[in-house]
Amino acid sequence: MDKKSIETKRNTKSHLKTLTKNGKVKKLRTTRRVVKYGTAGFVRNIWLSIAATIVMTITLLILSLTVVANIVLSQTADSLRDKIDITIFFKPQTEDGILTEAKSIMLNDSNVKSVEIANSKEEYQRFLDENTDNEKLMEVLNDEEMQEIMINTMQSTMRIKVKDVDNLDSIKDIVKNNELFKNNLDPEKEPSYDVNQTQIKTITSWANIAKNGGIILGIVFLVISILIIFNTIRMSIFSRREEIKMMKLVGADRHFIRGPFLVEARICGMISGFIAGTAGYVGMLFMTPKLTEYGIDVSVITSIIKSEWIIAVYAALIALGMIIGTFSAKLAIRKYLH
Amino acid sequence: MILLDGVTKIYPKDTKPALDNVSLHVDPNEFLFIVGQSGAGKSTLLKMLTKEENPSSGKIIVGGIDLDYVKKRHIPHYRRRLGVVFQDNKLLPSRTVYENVAFALEIAGMSNKEIDRTVPKVLDLVGLLDKSHKFPSHLSGGEIQRVGIARSVARQPKILIADEPTANLDPVTTKEIIDLLKRINDFGTTVLVTTHNDGIVNYLQKRVVTLDHGKIISDQKGKGVYSLEKEEPKPKRKPMPKVTKRPLHSTPVKTPPKKKIIRTI
Repeated sequence: MDKKSIETKRNTKSHLKTLTKNGKVKKLRTTRRVVKYGTAGFVRNIWLSIAATIVMTITLLILSLTVVANIVLSQTADSLRDKIDITIFFKPQTEDGILTEAKSIMLNDSNVKSVEIANSKEEYQRFLDENTDNEKLMEVLNDEEMQEIMINTMQSTMRIKVKDVDNLDSIKDIVKNNELFKNNLDPEKEPSYDVNQTQIKTITSWANIAKNGGIILGIVFLVISILIIFNTIRMSIFSRREEIKMMKLVGADRHFIRGPFLVEARICGMISGFIAGTAGYVGMLFMTPKLTEYGIDVSVITSIIKSEWIIAVYAALIALGMIIGTFSAKLAIRKYLH
Repeated sequence: MILLDGVTKIYPKDTKPALDNVSLHVDPNEFLFIVGQSGAGKSTLLKMLTKEENPSSGKIIVGGIDLDYVKKRHIPHYRRRLGVVFQDNKLLPSRTVYENVAFALEIAGMSNKEIDRTVPKVLDLVGLLDKSHKFPSHLSGGEIQRVGIARSVARQPKILIADEPTANLDPVTTKEIIDLLKRINDFGTTVLVTTHNDGIVNYLQKRVVTLDHGKIISDQKGKGVYSLEKEEPKPKRKPMPKVTKRPLHSTPVKTPPKKKIIRTI
């Protein structure tokens, strides 16, 4: 390298240093301008903005519906599962001590959630409570002799709630092989788990479908929505690619070029989040009573929409809209910034 | 101010170079026309000055900056030092005349006060102060080009590069634009103009560099002239076929009288 080129290199470096130093613009001032031009762009390209907002609103609604459906279905499945219990019938007049001992044996099993025991008297009382509306039966049971016969013939019971309804082998094993159970079980009445197994399995599989399906559907909708929004924003950016080229040629940096597009996308996301939140809120207000009539458990949803949590839901939807908008816009503009 | 030393540019997939060993030196405050036919390499030369393209070989130094050392992150800062007028205007369609000119100052980080002080002055210079709040779609071709010039000179660059600034303009507007560029040059800015238009070159009589197939074939310093006909000889007109002309006041052709229409009720 000769002397002249060394000097040119040194001069260039010092020039570039000065240029970069002088060119460093105040961040707050630039951000203010980016926001101003982004807002103006949103208003001036109102039709494209409306299209993007509508697409994003639909996306957010679908996403929130998926989440709500997931919550409702799994909650319904859980509450149905809670209603399922395995009933083991002991001989009538089995002593309380034996029942308590049997309970403690059963509780040792890791799959057992809770155990409830009832002797013949308590079982009779439950029978009465369940049939209070049946006047004829009540008349018959008013007779003291009849009451005594009933109590003497009524089996003592053990109601077991399990954690995993698919895996009842250990419980079956206790009932079959434990001496205490073998000696005191009523031979005339089989435990209920065999009868309910099919029903239990069906409910379990539905609950699993609801949970896993909800997650998969949610991801699929999220990907589709990002693609749709990405394309809508890309259309908007494509129609303004000459603008971007010009900005680059007159010396605008990446932040200044990309900023207004990101602001536009975030405004779309913000409005979409608000609209989707409101539509979802109104929809849920109308839908929850009807869903309850069909036996669907919507207690979580009801508790959310009737509390301050609704503000958090709004905030989450607005944030999600802004994140999707930002991500899509960044992806769409990347090509034109190179 | 500008130095090109043995610059060659070969685009990928092309066998012939777009610029072939071009060496050129432009002094400060000079007014230079770069002329040549389409495909001569004028636009490639300007693209390399604006760092849109890099030379395949050779050295380019602009305002003391060796472009070899200008990295990606430096490009915006470097471009802010240049004023560029584009052939196709490249205005922001969604911004007013005022905003388009202000844009060049905003990206440089100027304060609003400075911008409010500068933009009216520049718009006054190009004669568009009264149209500052109009959008580009409401302006004529000449006015749009003047906005482009206003935007490029707003930052008071030392070098102004104009790529065919008078293309698609009528002769009167062309003269106005060239006069404007001349005034800017008089203020001390080095001006580089590429053109096809021999009329404007001969009107100003400044330095003229002629490019042909990527090579400089002539460099006329001072009172340079350019003749389009030398390079693109106009096809000779074929003689008009002889037609027997009818005298203007010959016997008029009789038109048949209109038939009377009898309406029956």
